[in-house]
Amino acid sequence: MAGKSSSNLILGLCILIFAAVLLGVWIPADVQTGLIEKVRRQVTVGDALAPTVAGLFLLLSGVLLVTVERQAEGQPRLDLRNLGFTAGMVALIFVSLIVMRWSGPLAVGIVNVLGDGDLEYRLLRDTAPWKFLGYFVGGTLMISGCVAMVEGRIRLRAVLVSALAVLTMIAIYDLPFDDLILPPNGDV
Amino acid sequence: MGTLDYVWMGIQAVFQGPELFSIFGVSISVTLIMILGGFLTGIAVGATPGLAGPIAMAIALPILISVFGYTPDALLPVMGFLIGVMKGATIGGAVPAILFNTPGTPDAYMTTLDGYPMTKRGKAAKALRVAHFSSASGDTFSDIVLIVCAPFLALLVEAYLDLPEKTALLILSLSFIAAAIGGSPAKGLLSTGLGLLIAFVGTGEDFYPRLSLGSPMLNQGFPIATSVLGVLIIGAVFKEMETLWRQRQSRDIASDIRIEGDQRLHWADIRRLLPYVGRSAVIGTAIGALPGIGSTLAATLGYTVGRSRHARTKTEGRPDFGEGAPEGIAATEAANSSVSGANLIPVLSLGIPGNAAAVFLILAAESIGGFNPGPSVFRFTADTVNPELVIAFGLFTAMMIANLLNWTIGGVFMRSMGVMVRIPKHILLPAVLLLTLTAIYVQETRMEAIWFALGFGVLGYFMRVLAISPLPFVIAFILGGNLEESARQAFAATGGDPWFLFTSPIAALFMLASVGVIVFTARKTKERS
Repeated sequence: MAGKSSSNLILGLCILIFAAVLLGVWIPADVQTGLIEKVRRQVTVGDALAPTVAGLFLLLSGVLLVTVERQAEGQPRLDLRNLGFTAGMVALIFVSLIVMRWSGPLAVGIVNVLGDGDLEYRLLRDTAPWKFLGYFVGGTLMISGCVAMVEGRIRLRAVLVSALAVLTMIAIYDLPFDDLILPPNGDV
Repeated sequence: MGTLDYVWMGIQAVFQGPELFSIFGVSISVTLIMILGGFLTGIAVGATPGLAGPIAMAIALPILISVFGYTPDALLPVMGFLIGVMKGATIGGAVPAILFNTPGTPDAYMTTLDGYPMTKRGKAAKALRVAHFSSASGDTFSDIVLIVCAPFLALLVEAYLDLPEKTALLILSLSFIAAAIGGSPAKGLLSTGLGLLIAFVGTGEDFYPRLSLGSPMLNQGFPIATSVLGVLIIGAVFKEMETLWRQRQSRDIASDIRIEGDQRLHWADIRRLLPYVGRSAVIGTAIGALPGIGSTLAATLGYTVGRSRHARTKTEGRPDFGEGAPEGIAATEAANSSVSGANLIPVLSLGIPGNAAAVFLILAAESIGGFNPGPSVFRFTADTVNPELVIAFGLFTAMMIANLLNWTIGGVFMRSMGVMVRIPKHILLPAVLLLTLTAIYVQETRMEAIWFALGFGVLGYFMRVLAISPLPFVIAFILGGNLEESARQAFAATGGDPWFLFTSPIAALFMLASVGVIVFTARKTKERS
């Protein structure tokens, strides 16, 4: 990771651009009061002051990275393969969360089609086993998918261990507490 | 109400709190059991490579709040558990470091240098005993310093610092944390600036939620759990998974540990170790009292100081540091353990969290309510009871109980935890990821919170890849609101004086120090490069 790298310079330039946009565009356009406000003849601190201080921290950081720490030793070198792996993992988690969100409603829909019923997931989300369905399927996919990515292969044992881990989490969070709501049942 | 009355009430709050059960008519309070549970959990977590105290605290917090509710009665059981985890994880980290050359926590890395060679020589049990004795000694010393210093520091702050000085002190703390963590002031400032910026999204005094981009999702800002757990825990999980994927090999773990000869820790051993333990305890406590500087630096400094002493005083035939010297384990473990108590000095006396464990204690206090860590806690009111001060002395009592547990059952439990290293990290980490996301959801009960946390996890990952410490981000996020509020009040109190940070000598000195610490560390960095 360490070695001759210009990552500090690139990072510094990116931060300088971001700080300039923040201070020059975002704060003026997206904050309604200025740095200092006069309300009923009283001078008060406006909403823009605090984000401006944050922007100045970023600006100073960018200046230091580009000037003082430009040649610093041991700068990290970005490895595109590693970044690719992490991007894949984030994508997997994204898909798992989508599956978690929609497994329950989908299962209810399938039951409705097969049994000619009129069930609604929203009304079943506090009833077992419906309330566990999304969390179990999405959670198992998330854990076993991450394991498979690290191992470079899909193993039945890993899937079973993942399913067991999710069941344990259900037992920890849901069974003893009436007021804890597992995802995604709080806002479906 | 005198000082001793408050101390006694704090002790009573722990021992005579809500009863869980009774043995032979003796009531056992729920706080005592929570401290014990947290302590044992902490040892197990610390002994598991890939886990750490803050992860256990993050996962446990929503469950504990759900069990105990949002009443002041919940403060001591919940915070007692978290304190137990913090202390247990400190000694637990030494177990895999000594037995398997794998540090359970980052600050136990130096323990591997002498611990593992002792294991290879058949002295594993003795090495664990040395680690436990040194760790418990350092921890106890640090707690005593905390109990003595925190109230005095808080009283000094209340007596001498007005609103402008308190604002300047917060700026100095952020500046110091930015400069001190990670060895790069520029990256520390970047982390701090991002934390402040995120804290200010969706907040403010105007009707329009600032920096929300007109999005309803950002109207209420980012929940504290999503940003803290996202950057600290999920970001760490991503980085660890990437490292595992890169290695893609399971490390061989020795299946049999050879035990040979006398494994006990004799009085002669203790006498030989004490100078190392004493020096490292002072170093660790001094470092721990400064916000943001972690136990890893304390361990490194303690080890370095110990090594130079050992080189001067070592007798013929005894191993050098790095070759299995018990003094090396003692120097490291006393230093990294003595950070934990002292780290609570800035939390309790100033309201400024110094490390990740302190962040979770503040999160617990904020979630439950009724206790706001800061100088106002230590108001020794004579005519009425200050409930926050009772809680503070209750926390000190909880820390001493955890120390007592450490001295009595800690060693035995610690030595049985070698099995934890066999838990496969690449299965454990995704499970931790799901547990963390679940912990966030049960607090916020909306999928948006999970998306935010995932986004902050990606941010935390990139911070680690680019060698930017996430701790200044988290501390700045937590302090951002206080900083703005304090500045608003100070500005109003000085009649709208734009130079309010420079008109009083103390505030001006703090501001000068804020700039000075950045300039000094930047110059050091430039000299190094």
